[in-house]
Amino acid sequence: MRGLQLPLNQTQRIRLQRALEKLHSLSSKANSDASVTVADTIPVNYDDAFLKGHGTTDLNGELVATVCGVVERVNKLVYVRALRARYKPEVGDIVVGRVVEVAQKRWRLEINFSQDAVLMLSSMNMPDGIQRRRTALDELNMRSIFEENDVVCAEVRNFHHDGSVQLQARSQKYGKLEKGQLLIIDPYLVKKSKQHFHYLEQFGIDLILGRNGFIWVGEHVEARDGMIVDQANNSEQSTVEKDQAYTPLEMRQNICRIANAVRVLSTLGFNVDADLIIETAELSSSLNIDIHDMLGSEFHVLVAEREAERRSLMTKRKR
Amino acid sequence: MVGLSVGEKHFIQGGIAQDLRSDGRKRLTYRPIYVETGAHGSARIRLGATDVIASVKAELGKPSALQPDKGKIAIYVDCSPTAAPMFEGRGGEELSTELSVALQRCLLGGKSGSGSGIDPSSLVIVEGKVCWDLYIDGLVISSDGNLLDALGAAIKAALSNTGIPKVNVASETSGDEQPEVNISDEEFLQFDTSGIPVIVTLTKVGRHYIVDATSEEESQISSAISISINRKGHICGLTKRGGAGLDPSIILDMISVAKHVSEQLINKLDSEIAAAEANEEES
Repeated sequence: MRGLQLPLNQTQRIRLQRALEKLHSLSSKANSDASVTVADTIPVNYDDAFLKGHGTTDLNGELVATVCGVVERVNKLVYVRALRARYKPEVGDIVVGRVVEVAQKRWRLEINFSQDAVLMLSSMNMPDGIQRRRTALDELNMRSIFEENDVVCAEVRNFHHDGSVQLQARSQKYGKLEKGQLLIIDPYLVKKSKQHFHYLEQFGIDLILGRNGFIWVGEHVEARDGMIVDQANNSEQSTVEKDQAYTPLEMRQNICRIANAVRVLSTLGFNVDADLIIETAELSSSLNIDIHDMLGSEFHVLVAEREAERRSLMTKRKR
Repeated sequence: MVGLSVGEKHFIQGGIAQDLRSDGRKRLTYRPIYVETGAHGSARIRLGATDVIASVKAELGKPSALQPDKGKIAIYVDCSPTAAPMFEGRGGEELSTELSVALQRCLLGGKSGSGSGIDPSSLVIVEGKVCWDLYIDGLVISSDGNLLDALGAAIKAALSNTGIPKVNVASETSGDEQPEVNISDEEFLQFDTSGIPVIVTLTKVGRHYIVDATSEEESQISSAISISINRKGHICGLTKRGGAGLDPSIILDMISVAKHVSEQLINKLDSEIAAAEANEEES
């Protein structure tokens, strides 16, 4: 698999190798033929008419891959889906982005895509909650809603005619994210699922798995009804409150544990979903591993072994 | 460097105040250090996502007229554009100069060479005529905060892996002529690195100090002090960065904290360097 940046001593290296081989053998056989690296020939029936898609090229009459990835076939189209590519948005995806620019009637967000995503002012709920037409005054007060470098959670609404993405944040669960940390992992590790917002009750933490690889781990915030109308008082109050109210230590420990669990899973290249994260975090606390030691080589090897066991149990159960 | 929102900054400050940073470390805990030594005088150090390489080259040269009994040591750092987008083109030059000057101050002592962490009088061959010139080059491949500490450790590792060839001087020559020197290909003198200091950077965020800041935490600093301390606990150099002023009592406090941290760091670094060299001999 990918070269890990961790230094492993001899025994750890052997254990990790064994666990990864086990996982390899458990994955479905059909896919192992489909993965290609650059300059591999793609097995195609040349008698049938087929269309050459992204990531392929014609070399000396043969179809050759130009990226490392998995061969996908859709009807007559043959293309190679690269694994380490940037995020590819789909309508309805939940993404977490960072505001890079406050422009006329819109915000531009960075979402690990080839272009910045656009969040229109009209796609955002107004602070007073009333559905009304956005006036010039609203446009001037855009900064009071989101500023540069704010972390925002939104949903992909549609694609613009030039290929860029439009977002919307109309529901109560979307909006600015504070009191936590943002983690960046590879987008292909977050698979589409029914739930991307997770409220981990036993920890009291919000976990948002953005499909673009931005993961938010933070204190739980109740779905807000709308911010306080009085803008001036709000900013004064909030700075005073913030000086006094740091996140309580226990919740902070939980946040760090979950964040480190995400980091470990992404280093090992496993799909990141909420159950696996919770399991990894509980594994570390049950073994009394110090939060910082979760990023050490020993814990990585343990997680890999655990995952190999879990998957072999699952396949045994299926049979 | 990506900016941080107000909420995230507040979270980081809260973590530092409560002694639990974003990756679970305590305030005075270093990230795991990984040392790799290469052939003859080069080393690579990884500190979390910070990745630096140091290499040492030696050339025969003439000692300066002011200090005829000492060799010359020059330290230069280059920030590769791959480290961060802002280093592209000439963007990294300011940081490179800052790091080079800070390293020189911490490791080489004053202009006269006194108080130097690396002893230049061991580099002289014939007083006034021939000496070794050491060129130490640092390269920053990836930057995630705390470059100075990483470079200091890399230089220490590289020097411990450096062998200076033995030089045979031809028989006595008259005053102005350059003596003949024979550089031995087989015999090497290992550089004595037990006296080389390590650099500990203490960053002040709010009311607390942290060691080994990541680049996120570094965006919050009010001021930082880098102290180079050797094995005996003596300070070989001191640099202060950052615009905020510091009360002298705080500086003294930070120095004592740095001394305490440096003991563990020196031990850890020495064991890692020994392990890396053992690994290298095997392979």
